[in-house]
This record gives sequence, structure tokens and C-alpha cells, in this order.
Amino acid sequence: MDFEFTPEEKDFQKEVREFMDREVNEGVIAETESLQGAGPYSKELIRKLGSRRMLTPSWPEEYGGRGLTVMADSIFMYELTYHRGPFPLDGVEIARCLLHMGPEHLKKRFLLPVARGEIDVALGYTEPDAGSDLASVKLRAVEDGDEYILNGQKIYNTEAHHCEYHWILVRTDPDAPKHKGLSIFIVDLNSPGITIRPLYTSSGLRTNEVFYEDVRVPKENMVSEKNGGWSFAQNALRGGAGAPDGALRQRFDSWHEYLLGPGRDIWQKNPWVTDEMANYYIALHVHDLLAFRQSAMVDNGMPVTYEGPMIPAIGGPLRKAFFHAVMRMMGPYGQLAEGSKWVPLEGAMSRDFLDSCRQTVIHGANEVQKILVARALGLSRK
Amino acid sequence: MDIRLSEEQEMLKNAARDFLTEKCPKTLVRELEKDDQGYSPQMWQEIADLGWLGLIFPEKYGGGDMSFLDLAVLLEEMGRACFPGPFLPTVTLGGLPILDFGTEDQQQKYLPEIASGKAIFTTAILEPGDSKYKAASIKVKAAADNDGYVLNGTKLFVPDAHVADYILCVARTKDSAKAEDGITIFIVDAGSPGITTTLLKTIGGDKQCEVAFDNVKVPEGNILGKLNEGWSIVQNIIERAALAKCCEMVGGMQAVLEMTVEYANQRVQFDRPIASFQLIQEHCVNIVIDADSSRMITYEAAWRLSNGLPYSMEAAMAKAWAGDAYVRVTTLASQVHGGVGIMEDHDMTLYFRRAKAGELFLGDARFHREAVARGLQFETV
Repeated sequence: MDFEFTPEEKDFQKEVREFMDREVNEGVIAETESLQGAGPYSKELIRKLGSRRMLTPSWPEEYGGRGLTVMADSIFMYELTYHRGPFPLDGVEIARCLLHMGPEHLKKRFLLPVARGEIDVALGYTEPDAGSDLASVKLRAVEDGDEYILNGQKIYNTEAHHCEYHWILVRTDPDAPKHKGLSIFIVDLNSPGITIRPLYTSSGLRTNEVFYEDVRVPKENMVSEKNGGWSFAQNALRGGAGAPDGALRQRFDSWHEYLLGPGRDIWQKNPWVTDEMANYYIALHVHDLLAFRQSAMVDNGMPVTYEGPMIPAIGGPLRKAFFHAVMRMMGPYGQLAEGSKWVPLEGAMSRDFLDSCRQTVIHGANEVQKILVARALGLSRK
Repeated sequence: MDIRLSEEQEMLKNAARDFLTEKCPKTLVRELEKDDQGYSPQMWQEIADLGWLGLIFPEKYGGGDMSFLDLAVLLEEMGRACFPGPFLPTVTLGGLPILDFGTEDQQQKYLPEIASGKAIFTTAILEPGDSKYKAASIKVKAAADNDGYVLNGTKLFVPDAHVADYILCVARTKDSAKAEDGITIFIVDAGSPGITTTLLKTIGGDKQCEVAFDNVKVPEGNILGKLNEGWSIVQNIIERAALAKCCEMVGGMQAVLEMTVEYANQRVQFDRPIASFQLIQEHCVNIVIDADSSRMITYEAAWRLSNGLPYSMEAAMAKAWAGDAYVRVTTLASQVHGGVGIMEDHDMTLYFRRAKAGELFLGDARFHREAVARGLQFETV
């Protein structure tokens, strides 16, 4: 039993931290805080990270990694998000699926550019009528010679507007049982016929509708076997969902720092505040332990079942609860938005409070995550 | 990071589980709840012979030279089995403090007795009225007298005092502006004249006592640590014994999780196992979240302790978290079990009642969160 990182992992963590301290500049932070996706500063950072093989440390060297443990991937994500770097990097999680399950010709084409931070791939799953019931997707792909013609619509594809490619789940056989008529394609988002329209959440975060109108995609861009896309879809989702939440830790630390400094009165006049802070310190810590546990289990060859979906099942509600608690601690000041006179911490907390609603519905609704845990525990389904 | 037990720890765990499954069935647990002594002297000797009592003491004292982490594995099995008796008090309220703060003479005298099963130990901290684990609540007085001290006052909630051979009594030897100054720990022979022990009735099934000290004489050589400087040792005792309790609670939570999943799969209502209902599934998911998170923080603290790393923060976090978690787990599990789960003769109620006792043992969640808050530099004025 060991609760420390290996010497290799510690070295990597140190290297990543030093890099982040140096390179995550005001431009990157502003883009992250803007909730508009990865802008030019963020992309520059991602390229630099990629050129140092930091984005995908567990990947084989031939694909742009360092052959380190899966834990190193988690360490990287934690440090990236803690330092307020661009997140999520859907492309990395998607490419990981490609690495494990994809056809050789697509691995050769995409893995290195993703690992180098040269291209990014957006997740393209959700449709207006297919959220939790993902297998209900309707976006149709019809075979036509060497190509497929795609028609339909995706929604809440948050990274689409700044990515080069789209990893989409489409219906290739409308007559087969739901799960068995699906395929995955990687589509060039510059293809004629694709329209991206912004949508905004209550926190101002930009997401997108993506419309496909007679979009022609080469057959070789089909990732799965025809109609074998469901297992790919599930695999690509799993990776990101189990990450430890460095961004939440950053918010805890900055609120903690505020309380010890300008916000002294808040806890000195209200003892319950310190109890809440202690409670969330513990809650964040155990969540991190469980998230790192998953990586450790993978690295130690232990089968991961319920331990995976358990993490987002905890993490989403934890985020919500934490920001609700911070709002309570702030009292009336919590209602102030960014740019307002008197707003503490530049409005970050109220913005995250609004954004926290999103955390329990993305990458699998919390209810679905819990059902996955329940199934993995062996609870009867019927 | 690696969550796997070592080969030795696996062997210890399996041996403990086998022994406890055979020798400590729930029928015996219930019998011993009703029994005043609360433990089986025969089984006490058996576990001494197995090396459990001396597990973490040096070989020279008849111990096994194993670590706190190894003890954690054993304690988890005991929690799973609801093992009755003064194991945790003897080893962690008596043995550990003497090991780390006792004189050579004290170690040579008491540790072999613990390891061989001859001596049962406990520690008396809380008192009636202001029953807190805080220095200001210590009012039992120890006055200097001839070649020793005389103790006067009453202690409450003392685990297993009625069967203990020795009681570590936390007393005030000097009045001071700062409550933490002037506290001394005395190793008291439980058979000393002037000690009156009254067994309390608890809902947890454990044995706790009121212990009244009426002019009880204690020799100077029985001071543990230094005169007037005992409070830091008391804090250390609380830290480690509370962590030991967390290990037991983790074992209890795991047993409850398994029991509950099994029950939900077997119990058929509306022509289907109740496990297929989502509200039941959610209860089970919340149980495993609490059980696993408690396991992680508890073992992290135990690992740190065993590897010479600072562990106070993690120990406080573990007790705060696991203490509340066990209560949540048993409340939900009880719910899943429906009617049978509240019946006195069902195992569910054994765990439910122990969860409550565990929550309160050596400081509840709020108490330990105060320690965490101090660690976060929220010093209260």
C-alpha cells in the first residue's frame, strides 16, 4: 500500500508544475475564465505542452507520449486545471479511445497531432432527442460509394467551435436494434455542409448546436466497424469522467486565501464558516483520493468496475455543494456578478455557482452515473 | 499510488476473517452485549496467542513488530465482525501511549502483559457535566502526597473500565491560566482502593463506565510522560485511537454494503428484486461512496502514521468523515432492509448501533473538523 506518487510521477508532477507556473499567463487564464472555449493563448499553451509530451504522458513514445503511468495523465490534468488551463481537452480523451480501440490508419493520422497539441477533436454525441438515452441518436449516415453522407443535428457540443475535428456518433442502420446500428466517424469540421451555432448557459459558457446538411465524409474516417460504434462511444466517455478536479481545488484554495486575508471577518464573526471549510477540505480530499485510486488501479492491473463511474457521481454534486456553500458564506455579496462594484474575487464564485448546474448533467447525467455504479455493484436490473 | 495490501497483510486479513467467522458469530456478539463483562476471556487468550494483542509492539516485549497499517487491517476485520471486548482500548488507549511515551521500566512492565493477554487497559478522559475532549474539561484532581499523588473526581464514558487491569487517568495537577498546562496522565492500577466503577448501559452494545476516584493513591513512577505536560500525549492518544476506531468502522461499512446488496437482490416485492428499483439503487450507491471514501482517508492516515509522515491532519479528517459516514451508511442500509432491518435480532441493528457509538468515540465529526480548521489556519480567537 502506498499513498504517494512514484519517483517518476513526482518528477513529472514537478516538471508540469514548473511549466504551468511559467507558461499559464494572463491570456490563458482570461480565456479559461471567459468560458468561451480555447482561444489563441490556450491553443499556444496546448501546443507547447504537446511539444514537451506533457499532454498524453502515458501514451507510447511513438504516439507522442512518454510511456509513463496512467496516473501521470491524471497528474497532468489535475495540474492543468489547477493552474486554470484550458479544460476539458476532449480531444485527448477521444484520442485515448482511438489508441486503445481504433484502426491503424486513423491512429497514424490522428494520435501524434493530438498528442502534440496541433489538433483538437470535439465530442459529438448529444442530440435534442438523445441525451442520457444516447443510443437514440438520429444523425444519419448513408453510404454512397467511397463516402458517407451525413444529415442531422448535434447539440451541446461544447468544444466544436474551436476544434478541427468532430468525433460523432451516427446512425448507420436505422433498422437494427438501437445500440447495434451506430457508428463513430471523425469528421473534418471544415467540411462543406457543417454549420455551428453558439448556445449560452446561465453562466455565460458557450456551447454549440452543430448542423450536418449533406456532409460528405470519406469511408476511411469511420473509426468503428460499421454499426459497431456503441462500445467506442462508451469508451471515449469514460476517460474524462474520472479525473480528479484540480479546478475545484483551485477555487477552494483561492476562497481559503481570501478568507485568511480580506475576508477575515466572514469566519471570525461566523464560526460555522470554519466548520464548512473543514468539511469541504475533507470532501475534496476524499474525492481526489477516489479519483487517483482509479488511475492507480489501472496501473496496478486491477479491474475497475464501480470505481470509475463513482467519481463523477460524487464530483458533480460536490462541486455544486461547494459553490452553494461559498455563496452562503459570502452572504449578499455572492449575488454580485463579474464587473460589479464590490464583487469579491472578480465574480468567479458566483459564475461558478451558476456553472455548477452544468456539472451534474454533462458527460453523463448524475443519475446515469449512479445507475452505472449500481449495476457494477451487482444490483439486479429487473 | 497502490491500494493493494502486502502479501503479509493479506494473510493477516484472511486469518483474522477465518478466525472471527468461526469464533465470533453474531450470536456470540449478542450474548456478550447482554453479558456484564462484555468479552470472552477465553477468546481474549486465543487472540493473545495469535499475536493480535502484541501485533504492533516490539519483539522484545513479546510483540509482533508490525506496523499501525498492519493493525488497521486487523481492526477492519474486527469491525466487520463486531468483535466484542476491550481490544481497541487495550492496544491503542493503553499500549500505544506506553510504547511511545512510557519509560523503559513502564514499557518492560506493561507491554509484555498486554501482548500476553494478561492485562487489559483503558484511558479515562471525559468527565460528567462538561463532557468534552478538551483540556478545560479536565477537572479530576491529582494532588501531590508523600511519594506520589492522590486522585479525586469522577470520569465518565470510560471504555471497559470494569474489566480493566489498568486505567490511564487524565487529571489536573496544576491550575493554570492556560487549560492545557497542568495536566498529567497517571497509570492507575484498577484494583486500587478508592476506585468505584459503575457499568453504564449503552445503546451501542459496548461497555462504558463511570469511574469514581476517591483518594486514590498513585505512585510517582506511574506518571506517563512528564508532570503537568500530559495534554499533548492525550491529544496523541485521541488521534491514534480515533483512527483505530475508523479502521473498525470501515470494516463495518464494508460488511453493511455487502449485506445490503445481497438483501436487495434477494428481497422480491412487486414481482421483482427490490434492487431493480432506482431509489434502492441510489441508497446502495450512496453507501458504497461513503464506505470507499472512508476507507481511502482512513488508510491514507494509517499509511502516513506507519511511514513516519505527519498524519494529524489526515487522522482528524478520517475520524470526521468516517464517523458521519458510518451513521449515514447504516441509516440507508436499514432503510433498504425495511421491516426486518429494524428488528433486534437482525445483524443490521448491530451495525446501526455501533455506528452511533463510533461517531461519538473520541470526538465527533465537528470536534475533528475543528482540528482540520486549525490545520487550515483558522485559529479561533
